[in-house]
Amino acid sequence: MRGITKIYPNGIAANQAVDFSVRAGEIHALMGENGAGKSTLMKILMGLEQPQEGEIFLGGEKVSFASPQAAIAKGVGMVHQHFMLVPSLTVAENMVLGIEPKKHGVFFDRAGAVALTKEYSERYGLPLDPNAKIADISVGMKQKVEILKALVRGAKILILDEPTAVLTTRETEELFKQLVILKEQGFTVIFISHKLWEVKQITDRITIMRGGKSMGVHTTAGISEQEISRLMVGRDVMLSLEKEKAEPGGSVLNVRGLNYTNQWGNRMLKDVSFTVRAGEILGVAGVEGNGQSDLVRILWGFESPDSGSVAFEGAEILGEPQSWLRELGISYIPEDRMVYGAAGGASIEENLISDRAWGKRLNKGPFFNAGAIRKECDDLIKRFKVLARSRGQRVGMLSGGNIQKVVVAREFSAGPKLIIAEQPTRGIDVGATEFIRARMVELSRQGAGVLLVSADLAEVMQLSDSLIVMYGGEVVAYFEDTSALTDAEMGEYMLGLSKQSAEELGRAAHD
Amino acid sequence: MINSDRLLELKFSVLRGLAAIFVSISVAAILIFIISDQPGNALFQLLLSPLGNERQMWNILERMIPFLFTGLAVCVMFSAKQFNLAAEGSVMLGAFMAAMTAIYVPMPPIIHPIVSILVGVITCGLLMLIPALLHTKLGANVLVSTLMLNFIIQFCVQFVLVNIVADRSQGALMTYQFLETAGIPAIRFNTSYGLVLGLAMVVVVSLFIYRTRWGYAIRMVGLNKEFSAYSGLKVAGIIILCQVIGGMLAGMGGAVEMLGFFDRFRWRLLPGYGWNGITIAILAKNNPALVPFAAFFLAYLSRGAVNMTIHADVPFEMMDIIQAVIFLFFAAEKFLAGYRQKMVVKKAKRELGEDLPAKKGG
Ligand SMILES: Nc1ncnc2c1ncn2[C@@H]1O[C@H](COP(=O)(O)OP(=O)(O)OP(=O)(O)O)[C@@H](O)[C@H]1O
Ligand SMILES: [Mg+2]
Repeated sequence: MRGITKIYPNGIAANQAVDFSVRAGEIHALMGENGAGKSTLMKILMGLEQPQEGEIFLGGEKVSFASPQAAIAKGVGMVHQHFMLVPSLTVAENMVLGIEPKKHGVFFDRAGAVALTKEYSERYGLPLDPNAKIADISVGMKQKVEILKALVRGAKILILDEPTAVLTTRETEELFKQLVILKEQGFTVIFISHKLWEVKQITDRITIMRGGKSMGVHTTAGISEQEISRLMVGRDVMLSLEKEKAEPGGSVLNVRGLNYTNQWGNRMLKDVSFTVRAGEILGVAGVEGNGQSDLVRILWGFESPDSGSVAFEGAEILGEPQSWLRELGISYIPEDRMVYGAAGGASIEENLISDRAWGKRLNKGPFFNAGAIRKECDDLIKRFKVLARSRGQRVGMLSGGNIQKVVVAREFSAGPKLIIAEQPTRGIDVGATEFIRARMVELSRQGAGVLLVSADLAEVMQLSDSLIVMYGGEVVAYFEDTSALTDAEMGEYMLGLSKQSAEELGRAAHD
Repeated sequence: MINSDRLLELKFSVLRGLAAIFVSISVAAILIFIISDQPGNALFQLLLSPLGNERQMWNILERMIPFLFTGLAVCVMFSAKQFNLAAEGSVMLGAFMAAMTAIYVPMPPIIHPIVSILVGVITCGLLMLIPALLHTKLGANVLVSTLMLNFIIQFCVQFVLVNIVADRSQGALMTYQFLETAGIPAIRFNTSYGLVLGLAMVVVVSLFIYRTRWGYAIRMVGLNKEFSAYSGLKVAGIIILCQVIGGMLAGMGGAVEMLGFFDRFRWRLLPGYGWNGITIAILAKNNPALVPFAAFFLAYLSRGAVNMTIHADVPFEMMDIIQAVIFLFFAAEKFLAGYRQKMVVKKAKRELGEDLPAKKGG
């Protein structure tokens, strides 16, 4: 790709004369801060966006893709940062969307679709249930569906836009093995990630972008992590987190004996009990799909359990509306930012005030206090470093990481006593991750309780003061102090190989 | 909460609207040339005759009055993505209830029309609780339930009219005359002060939608219901609220039309203003502030179409064709998008200035 310039309809120059080239059979990393223009560049390569200037060459031949179909026909496939799956269809149906196998030339061949899905899923070692509905599977699963979708369509160049943001360490490593195999088979992979160690581990070369421009290409072996982050951010980044020891106070959230069976009759939670105390970060670790998201949905009142109780500062909150939870001082950063966390069609401003629109501060009589709202939003945008032209910009037009910052800004600024944080730093660049983690620690040290659910093992282990591990809907381990914990030990529990005794687990309740 | 991005978008949607109107009228012109023996006259009647004299122009404003109310009603409900079609039935019921008050409840002037309108407004607000609650409590589809509700209203009003309140001394089916005190006075010709009330409601509803927390909540529910629920907005309440407000506005429209233009209630069928309200809301992109423009356009067109039918040989239905073409262009998001993009790019490049390296050869 040569001299690519892309200006969006809202006037943002997301790519400015960018040169980018990938060699056949390599794994090439594309790195850069949130909003640097990575996704945009890849969308241009995929024919999803049309550049104003620049040319694309594929194997020496000049091409221009008017649509993703044209790109796919030439063997370019992409897994998007935000999934492009139809939630009401099954895995197999999504897999063959647009290339449906036909029976007698007309009818949709469901069995064929399922077989095809099984075949690819086995060939590439990405286990899937072809008959599950997309709406019901975890984000990690959706990721796999997306990758397989590209492969089924015959992609030779595979673009992965932040594929590991939603995967657990183990899943990531599995994915990497697959990527290496794909590479050996002659596939070319373009890999977008904010995680330095991943890039160091599997890529051959790196292109770094900053502010819509390319900062040059480097061989991975010849550049240090520090140098990469300096090129990305323009300054040195502290990757390790300094945090004082927690001094937990009284309990904020008491979860007791939660049992939950979902609508398909699967037992998702089994007798889950724990306590979040003021001033501490309680991590919930576990491979995705072991009940964590069900737990959070119950806490936030989106689902009701079969039995059990959830008390906030001693008062039962099960069955209470979300507006009441907000009023009590509970904040929630949801896993799926495009469905729950934000309204893409609304402005940044409108997204930032969604939880406090009824607050006295933002209203004057029956009307909004426009001045106060403006001030609050500008302040949040600045404090949380949301990269945007104005507070009136539509959230859907922000880069993935910046959308996340909008969500975090709202939730952290609500003055919460309890924060439920589900994958809070997903898709956020190193600089912003550092910032959000530091804020989270700060809030907890000021006395808020934090329930941190993350598939990123490094993140939970580093951030949490104490930690529970979930496996198969059960709490299988509780560690009051995480400082001495090792990856290996955690792995044992996360994979369900060991389980603590009832007595050890009972300590999580702090009764 | 107006800002530069939204202003730009507003500018383009107005531009697009004008272009769509231009294209649709061109299409109409072509059709008229094909079917008419006197195309020049027909076109003149359609496009220019409404400007012919003062009476014609006031008639446009008169036709605009019910459009204003129903346009606003639909804007409010569609803003929350509640596809409630009962504005139509509300107009009829609102008009009927106002007529009943105007006939049977004596009151001093000025108070009388106000109270009559309020009776229509309140009845229709309550009426909308039916589809709203059916939806929030039982999950009934609003589109379907309100479509049916319209006909239930029509037949109920008909029943009462025929069996109970009809003036038997008249040859046709109609009620007794409204009391003298109940009429809304005219500004000029047949155009009543309802026009002023309609324009006032435009201001009120615009402020409500864009400057208050309830309007904000209505728009957020329309944009993303999950997000709204997660944020702690009371989604079910908002869904009910917007439909009640929609019903009240439409009911007001019916009452104002009835008291401002008629002296007896004689509608046996749904009057159609609710459907026009949908056209207007779509033209106005659910923005209440744009409703007067869309309503004026539709009123102008309908006056022209009437003239064309009377004075030339083209049927009134030409108006429907023009509306349909406008719809098509409005639905087509890409229409004029290229032009817009060019302007934006130009502006962005200017802003970037020397920042943008020269295009490289290759
Ligand atoms: N559809 C769009 N319309 C308008 N502007 C957009 C659109 N998509 C992205 N942008 C803007 O373009 C810039 C680059 O966005 P892009 O999504 O390419 O960033 P990114 O490097 O992928 O960031 P992230 O790591 O956060 O995903 C951002 O400033 C963003 O606001
Ligand atoms: Mg991106």
